[in-house]
Amino acid sequence: MKRYGDHRFPGKLFVVEGIDGSGKSTQLALLHQWLQGEGYGTVFSEWNSSLLVRDTTKRGKKRRMLTPASFSLIHATDFADRIEHNIIPLLKAGAVVLCDRYIYTAFARDVVRGMDPQWVRELYSFAVKPTVAFYFRIPLDVALNRLRSGRNGVKFYEAGMDLELSANPEDSFEIFQGRIMEEYEKIVPEFELTAVDATLPIEVQQSQMRQIVLAKLAQAKRLRVAP
Amino acid sequence: MRETYGSVLPGMNLEDLSGKLIVIEGTDGVGRSTQVNLLKPWLEQQGRAVLDTGMTRSDLAGKGIKQAKEGHILGRLTLSVFYATDFVDRLEKQIVPALRAGFVVLTDRYIYSLMARAIVRGVDPEWLRHVYSFALKPDAMFYLRINVDDLIPRVVFSRGFDYWESGMDLHPGEDMYESFRRYQTALLGQLDKLAEEYHFTVIDAGPEVPVVFGQLKEGISRVLAGQPPVSAPTAPDRKPAPRAEPPAETVPEGGDRASAHAFAKASGGDAAT
Repeated sequence: MKRYGDHRFPGKLFVVEGIDGSGKSTQLALLHQWLQGEGYGTVFSEWNSSLLVRDTTKRGKKRRMLTPASFSLIHATDFADRIEHNIIPLLKAGAVVLCDRYIYTAFARDVVRGMDPQWVRELYSFAVKPTVAFYFRIPLDVALNRLRSGRNGVKFYEAGMDLELSANPEDSFEIFQGRIMEEYEKIVPEFELTAVDATLPIEVQQSQMRQIVLAKLAQAKRLRVAP
Repeated sequence: MRETYGSVLPGMNLEDLSGKLIVIEGTDGVGRSTQVNLLKPWLEQQGRAVLDTGMTRSDLAGKGIKQAKEGHILGRLTLSVFYATDFVDRLEKQIVPALRAGFVVLTDRYIYSLMARAIVRGVDPEWLRHVYSFALKPDAMFYLRINVDDLIPRVVFSRGFDYWESGMDLHPGEDMYESFRRYQTALLGQLDKLAEEYHFTVIDAGPEVPVVFGQLKEGISRVLAGQPPVSAPTAPDRKPAPRAEPPAETVPEGGDRASAHAFAKASGGDAAT
């Protein structure tokens, strides 16, 4: 079993990370569209999306059965399924794989929930190292402002309500996101994530992203498919 | 205070877990559940409260694993982590509360079987040890040991060959008998290795059910009296002489895993990353 490290598959793996409201999904969607337009075989894979464990995760969340440990392991199961059945075969086939959230999300969230940082890192050691991992850095209050205007109500685990930080979901969410951000700041240097200033205009961030991605795709010209 | 194999889960208090955690290990079809079904009423007769638990019996993940296995689409890492999810849910929601309440917890397999099955499928043993490092060290592990020639007739004449128990995910296209023999031989090899590393009490599962039951009763009585489980005589052709000492004082490191990898390789098991 190979450990977290550079893969030798012909495909490329780009991932986005950041707290809720950092704009990472918007940026990834724009990148996706652009890559497809450029003729690259591009596939998108989202965190927590494996059909295999979906019912189990749903059940655990709905009935609030999850502890920090089972929360961590059920998400790792989901990720393992996507790695084995989706991400690795696609990289072998030469695709450009885009992931909205990757193992660093688990490193941040699970550790905030009290899991041992080394244990979580080892748990995910079967993961493929991304070609580039973008971290969208944003001040907490800016992210929270963006979210306030958009959504109505946060979910139990999303707000970190299981940690009993506050009886009020909104307050709990803010404290939880703040702690996740602190963990991300440790992860960025440790795993050499590429930080993007998420307060810049969307198109400026996107052009930075495209430049970095393009440099990595230069060697992968042969992967182009007819648009 | 109770010990784990290294890490402690958040919120898990290891004090006052006064019950006894007793593991029955052994391969598929060796008669573990038959024995557990005899042991439970026997213990209850003596006024002991008993919780029996086993793989895929968690409220959270049990059903999900069974469904996923029906489709035969589980990757070997996914299977491993899914089982770990099932295990942690049972540990936190069943085993620990029962131990705190002073129950005898009889568990039909523990982390060892999970590790053995994954190792045979080519998963890194060090990774498995790390993932399961939060598991509680049991008070005793009884290993129902059998060799593959004695196992085959039992399985054939009771329930027949099962897809996963025959390792058909490792040898697609091979006939069930050949696959079963290869897979169980490799699995027994791993269990024997773990038996030595973790100091299981080995019980020869060859004799009739009442004989095995008698040996288990004897061993469990000793454990409940606060003594080390006595070692049962092993099959004459087998070497690992079980030691009559408290189980698993240390986390064993290392071990030869070349054979497991060779097995996974020979059977077309492809490295995951």
